Amino acid sequence: MFDSMNVSSSALTMQRLRMDVASSNIANADTTRAELVNGEWQPYQRKMVVQQSQSFSSHLNRAKEQLNEGVVATGIVNDQTPSSLIYDPTHPDANDLGYVAKPNVDIAREMVDMTSATRSYEANVTALQASKNMLMKSLEIGR
Amino acid sequence: MFTTQSISVLEEALHFAANQQKVISSNIANVDTPDYKEKSVSFQNVLQTAQSNSNEFQAKQTNERHLAFPLPHSHSLGLQERVQQYNHNGNSVDIDKQMSKMAENQLYHQALVDRISSNFQSLETAIKGSR
Repeated sequence: MFDSMNVSSSALTMQRLRMDVASSNIANADTTRAELVNGEWQPYQRKMVVQQSQSFSSHLNRAKEQLNEGVVATGIVNDQTPSSLIYDPTHPDANDLGYVAKPNVDIAREMVDMTSATRSYEANVTALQASKNMLMKSLEIGR
Repeated sequence: MFTTQSISVLEEALHFAANQQKVISSNIANVDTPDYKEKSVSFQNVLQTAQSNSNEFQAKQTNERHLAFPLPHSHSLGLQERVQQYNHNGNSVDIDKQMSKMAENQLYHQALVDRISSNFQSLETAIKGSR
């Protein structure tokens, strides 16, 4: 019974991480100096969360019929799509031709991702609440 | 005794409800995990065990080479992976269905707890008398 609560809480952690990453992307939507590579500033690259179900890596659990299928973030990767070039010769980071490399962050996409994370979070809170209610009801047996 | 027997049956059903809750939570947890497939708890194995206990489902063997109906002896609840795909990322979880199944499972669990409690109350009445 506690397993289902653990599963839901792993998902809550996951959704919170997605929210953090989306916030970081939005915060850095205009950051042209994210890291210094060979003496040159590189624009911020959009971050993405890689998620997989917990039992995917642990087949032993499945063999034992202990289906503990939470969700886990296996890493945060950079979006490799090229950054867009904007013509702005007055910008301090403009190249010789007057173009500035802007981060490959699409605000609309981040907002969608954030909304999706919020909704998933809500769904998992509901699931957690349901598990808790069932547990509380079970404790009432014999009262 | 009649009451104790039905309590044990209800207990099995409670196990089923708990298991189902776990599976539904994991479906909801993995609602946007790539390549995750929706799981569900099936009653099939439990039914088969019940049938094997009651000796009702015996194959009629008129020759010793005839095969008997193979009946599994496990009490475990089977899990099915659905094959339909709904999403572009290979995920097949239908969140609305999972949420409604969860609500249904909660009511089922409440009903079971209610029945067990009333069974215990009946026992108590029998022990104490109707004082």
